[in-house]
Amino acid sequence: MTMTQKAIGQNEYVQRTLKDKQEFSWKKFFLQWEWLLILVFFLVLVINTNLSPFFLNGAGLRDATMIFLDKAFVVFPMVMIMILRDIDISVGSTVALSSVIMATLYNDFSLPMGAALGACLLVGALCGLVNGLLIVKFKELSAVIVTLGTMILYRGIAYIILEDQASGNFPAWFSFFGWGNVGGMPFILIVFSVLAVVFTLLLHKTTFGRQIFAMGNNTTASRFSGVQIDKVKIIVFTLAGVMAAITAIFLTSRMGSTRPNVATMYELDVIAMVALGGISTAGGKGRMIGAIIAVFILGYLQYGLGLINIPSQTMLVITGLLLLAAVGIPKLNVSQKFKRFRRKQLE
Amino acid sequence: MSEYVLEMKGITKRFPGVTALDQVNFKLKAGEIHALMGENGAGKSTFIKVITGVHKPDEGDIYLNGEKVEFSSPIDAQEVGIAAIYQHVTNYPDLSVTENIFMGHEKVQKLTGRIRWKEMHEEARKILRSLSSSIDPKAEMGSLSVAQQQIVEIAKAISTHARIIIMDEPTAALTSRESEELYKIAESLRDRGASIVFISHRFEDMYRLASQVTVLRDAKYIGSWGIDEISNDALIVAMVGREINQVFPDRNGELGEKLLHVEGLSKAGYFADISFTLRKGEILGLTGLVGAGRTEVCQALFGIMPYDKGTIELKGQKVRIQSPKEAIKLGIGYLPEDRQLQGLVLQWSIGRNITLSALKKFDAKGWLNEKKEHAFTKNLAEKMHVKANSIFDLVSSLSGGNQQKVAVAKLLTAQLDVIILDEPTKGVDVGAKTAIYEIINDLAAQGYGIILVSSEMLEVIGMSDRIAVMRAGRITKILDRETVTQEKILEASMADKPKKNVG
Repeated sequence: MTMTQKAIGQNEYVQRTLKDKQEFSWKKFFLQWEWLLILVFFLVLVINTNLSPFFLNGAGLRDATMIFLDKAFVVFPMVMIMILRDIDISVGSTVALSSVIMATLYNDFSLPMGAALGACLLVGALCGLVNGLLIVKFKELSAVIVTLGTMILYRGIAYIILEDQASGNFPAWFSFFGWGNVGGMPFILIVFSVLAVVFTLLLHKTTFGRQIFAMGNNTTASRFSGVQIDKVKIIVFTLAGVMAAITAIFLTSRMGSTRPNVATMYELDVIAMVALGGISTAGGKGRMIGAIIAVFILGYLQYGLGLINIPSQTMLVITGLLLLAAVGIPKLNVSQKFKRFRRKQLE
Repeated sequence: MSEYVLEMKGITKRFPGVTALDQVNFKLKAGEIHALMGENGAGKSTFIKVITGVHKPDEGDIYLNGEKVEFSSPIDAQEVGIAAIYQHVTNYPDLSVTENIFMGHEKVQKLTGRIRWKEMHEEARKILRSLSSSIDPKAEMGSLSVAQQQIVEIAKAISTHARIIIMDEPTAALTSRESEELYKIAESLRDRGASIVFISHRFEDMYRLASQVTVLRDAKYIGSWGIDEISNDALIVAMVGREINQVFPDRNGELGEKLLHVEGLSKAGYFADISFTLRKGEILGLTGLVGAGRTEVCQALFGIMPYDKGTIELKGQKVRIQSPKEAIKLGIGYLPEDRQLQGLVLQWSIGRNITLSALKKFDAKGWLNEKKEHAFTKNLAEKMHVKANSIFDLVSSLSGGNQQKVAVAKLLTAQLDVIILDEPTKGVDVGAKTAIYEIINDLAAQGYGIILVSSEMLEVIGMSDRIAVMRAGRITKILDRETVTQEKILEASMADKPKKNVG
């Protein structure tokens, strides 16, 4: 380090050269939450393979992926929302409402399916926009309360529209979303991968993403720095609505019909995936990749447990315990060092 | 028995890096209203905290009625009859008046532990009546006005049978009528034999109430006088007459064209009729007592606090600033007073903090150019002499002075013309202060127009070309560098005639 001494009055201060390259350290590299997640992921695969000979069956694995991936679209914006120190528990209801409106427009109003799909996305975006506007407008209300309100509201509207009926009879091509393959790859997996890349870049490589992290760490300072905090929030919540609508499309396509009670408790699965992915519930910290790995951990875990006929109630218990362990272990002082590195790594 | 109910001798209190009280003496007679005066930061608040047992003095003795006492906690002080009513009312806004009065010493039924509500309400009513107040004991504290809340605080002091009552700037938030009521209550307390220590920046308060005045300056005891023994002028000299011990860089700035012109800026309840001009290369000091509305004016210029009336002209163009983003875009930057809460993201690295207010600069179609960002922040942080190893060091690991340098660097990232610095040397040690003064001076020389908000008179006098003094939301005087004195500033900031309140 080069130093030049400079004396001003009685006060000396040291002129330093600041490093502008981050030193690479293997230790730091391996002490990342994501490695632990990858480890757990393989653990799930190994255990499942030993428990059931059918697990690694290619077709089965592919079908499983199709089934759990639909809700995973909402994971992307939920990561952003939780980094903002907010939460959105209305996404399940948004899925139901946009799905029900899409089906009703097609079946009862004879809209072409393409237009119905567009309407579905529009409804989702609108639901998210309303959430965002309410949260920005009523700053003293927490996002939990606001989205609890819209969660009940959106679900209620879905029930009024469809009155506990099912609505199906979609054109044959619509099933492609849920069941189609492109070059041997499930279509849903391709869309998921593309969106995963897009959202990862958006969060970690753009000025928009930087502003999200800034707000999650210190909203006041962000505002004083000229970040348009209301605008960022509204955009992120609207994105959550759009992703919920995409979930609605894939889910409806896979099931062939929809009811007002679809996607119940989806928000909890999504939040579980995000939390398992290492996104701090205190806001400001976390990485998209962690949540993406967590999607596959929870997805394959549930699929594997299903194969060996574990009742769904037990599955809930196992999922709950896994989540508690995931968010609890880093808080235990098992390894101070690990904690410190994790804190430095995730920002 | 001693002549004094409270006597303090040679009280010294040190905090890491500063001596907050240095050999302070204080004598309080029974039935006396005693004013305690001094500038911001003179040590008054610390002194009160010593009396009330919040701080333990490092040296010195406290005598109560001639007996030496030692307080290890505020409860000890309460038990011997010392109560304090603070500047910012500290209470439980969601609880009833009665609950607030009896908090911590509720009347409780023996054995069962039942709270004797009826008795408490009755007692509360009695105390409030004795203060000629008609506040309902069952009313919610938060629904009362500040003046009423203060009366409740006084009632609380009476309910604990306090003999010594300390009032820390109780009239700061009151209208003159409300103040008059408070004076009457203080007098009636005195007539019942209680002693009152009264802290206020308002001379009118002191002349109206006190019979004795003690002055602190720079943590030291200056003197104690009977109210008739000292003139207004002599008092001001006692409060500010210190030696200059901070070296300020020379101002040889050449003032350029008009940058910012503010005319009649007003916001009901905060400030009114603010007019001034700022030139290129000029440092305009903005001073006045805490709460005079300085920060609010700055925040209006920065688009954080919306204003009702008035015009802002920037380089001859009329502008309406509605958000910090707009302000920055127009070329106005603001260094907030609370750098930890408003200025910096503490959990972030130096580099990220520096670029936050001008991310656009490193934005190529939405993508963040981190290479450019790193090079830029390295350069700027070095220019500011930030003491650290790398631009990835967390800001929370830096000292106050270095944090402030990062905050200033952050301003320089954007293309600004006007820089507003709100208490830039608050919580910064002496060495770093000098560095910050040099930086400010450099910025002015580079042609920035600078508004320097500060409560430290020497700083304002040493740094500014002109000084605007605010009092109760208005600019009372704009003083020139050549003719300014501390006395003039103090006079302008503490006009001794009551003025109409803003809004």
